[in-house]
Parts: sequence; structure tokens; C-alpha cells
Amino acid sequence: MKLGVLVSDFRNMDDTLSRLKADKLGVILVSNGVYHAAAKEGGKKSWVLEKSPHLYVLSEDLQSRGFSEAEIDTRVKSITYSDLVDLIFNEYEKIIWI
Amino acid sequence: MAKLTIGVFSSLVGSLSLDFAVKLSEAAVKKGHSVDFWLSGNATMLSLKGQRTFKDYSALQKPVQELLATGKFQITACEACAEARGYHKEDTMEGCKRQSMDWYLASSFSADRVVHIGGD
Amino acid sequence: MATKKLAFIVKSLPYKTEASRLALTHAIASQTVEIYLEDGDMVEPVLAFMGDGVLNCLKNQKAMTLYGVTSLEQHIKNSLLLDLKVMICKEDVERFGLSEDALIMDAEDIGGETNANIAPFNEIMKEMDSSDHLLFF
Repeated sequence: MKLGVLVSDFRNMDDTLSRLKADKLGVILVSNGVYHAAAKEGGKKSWVLEKSPHLYVLSEDLQSRGFSEAEIDTRVKSITYSDLVDLIFNEYEKIIWI
Repeated sequence: MAKLTIGVFSSLVGSLSLDFAVKLSEAAVKKGHSVDFWLSGNATMLSLKGQRTFKDYSALQKPVQELLATGKFQITACEACAEARGYHKEDTMEGCKRQSMDWYLASSFSADRVVHIGGD
Repeated sequence: MATKKLAFIVKSLPYKTEASRLALTHAIASQTVEIYLEDGDMVEPVLAFMGDGVLNCLKNQKAMTLYGVTSLEQHIKNSLLLDLKVMICKEDVERFGLSEDALIMDAEDIGGETNANIAPFNEIMKEMDSSDHLLFF
């Protein structure tokens, strides 16, 4: 299946994301999930960035939190709500929010 | 075009997850899709009329009314969840319907995509 | 005539939030969804508990006595009574050191004939794969 995962949390994540498997898995960082794209702890980047090559971050949520697109990991693509709609309908068959 | 069903269980004002869902709806409707918006749990607060707009608080009544005016958006609140919280039919904003939980399943049946945003 | 399968995946702990309760009540609502659908169309729910969510399935919950709310135990039994498919993640059951005896596996005391199934996570993934839509709680 093609599964889009809206990751909305940073600190309070359980192991759901690490366990999910799909033919194509997209990690879409929204809400507090955007910290995975931009924050480093002890110089280390988030493990979430290793989960899938299809990484996206919602620019509105990123900028709301004081980050610019220049500060995000280069593997992550910044998207708008409009782009998110396209991802939902065109790239992934099922969408979950965690 | 396609149909998106969004189910939201998060609190009004207390969480920006509802705001996310409304903005996603706006973007989908702008692209010509239709949106069914289901409110359950604490999200039934959004069905209340008379929400006031203050600078420091998210304000969703107006965006919801504007979405309703497009004709491509419908918003439905869980009647049991609303009544349990003291929100009665007469307290409901214009255009917002109230139904039982099976309505959400029926909406999901005919949806092309479902985004379920759990409570928090 | 069409059947759409909805997977209700419960990973939240009960009671502090109503997330897992709402998962159960929404899944059970599949019993009356037909009033909205065309003749012959159906919604097929599957319920799966994973992660911390398996702790919803513990027996002897006293929520009704102590808080006046229907327990998750009762909601799960109602699901089984209505023949919903209920899966409990084997790896998480083992992680918490739980035996089958500690879990709600049937609803025989209220006349139910369907049992819950402790299943490996990859079987839960297969259910997700074959579902039309996924709802995580």
C-alpha cells in the first residue's frame, strides 16, 4: 500500500512509526512533528528522517514555530497545504495521523 | 473531483489540530474537492455558535462559515458527544449538522480519502 | 453492492483520554451505518490494539463502579458480541508480560460467540493493507 503518515508529535511519540511498513511510505511532518525536520539534540538529527526517503514538512507549521526552510534537513521537502492535498489524493492511498 | 472525509476529535482552541483540519479543508475545497468534516469528542466544541474572536485565540467559526458557503463542505457533529458536554441543538452554529457516529462511517464509505485526527 | 473496510487501530491508553473509547463506539456504529447506504453496501470494521493500546484489553476494569463510565472491557465485549473482528498485537502483549488469561478474549458471559485474536503485528499490517481507510486512535 501507499501510506502517508502525518506525524504530529515530537517528544511524545510511541513506536508506531518505526513499526509501519508500506510499499511506499511518506512521512509528512505537521504540527509539532516539524521539529523532526529542524531540531537537533546533542548535534544529532531525528531518527524519523531515516524512516523513509519520502519526507515532507508543512511550511506553515515550520514557520509558525520560528524555523525557516533554510534550517531544515536537506532530505525534507517543504510543502504547503495545497501541496498536502495533492499528496493525499495523488501520491498515497491511505493517510494516518499519529 | 474527489471527496475527503476528515474526522477530528481534538479540542477547539486548546489544540491547533482543529485549525490544521480546517486549513486542510480550505485547501481541498479550493482545488475543487468536497470535504465532509466530522466532529467528535472534544472537537464538538467547534459546533457551538457564538464563538468570539480574540487576538490570542484561534478562531474557526468564520472560516467554517466561509467553507459552508462554498457548497463543497459539510460539517457534522456527534450528537452524543455534544449533548454529553451540554451542547444542545439550539446551541449549534448555523449550517452544522448533528448525527450519530454511524454518519462518520457512512461518509468514510464514499470518501476517496479519510484523514482521522485523534483527540488531544 | 460494495463493502468498504475500515481499520480502527487503537494505540492509546484508556480513560485519561477518550480516544480508545471513541474507537470502540465508532467501530460498533458500523451496525447501523446501513441506513445511510445503498442496499447491499456495507462497512466492515476491524479493530486492532497495538502498542500501549493492548492495555485496553485487560480484564477486571472497574471504571463503571468508580467513575460511572462504561469500561473499555465492556465496550470490547460489546464488539465481540456484535461479531466485530478484534485483534490484539502479540508482540505488545508479550512486551507487557501479559497472559491470555489476563485479557478480554471473549464475550461468552453476555452471549457472544466471537473471540478476540492475539495476532503478530505483521497480521495487523495485513489487515491495514487490505482496508480501504485507516483510523488511528
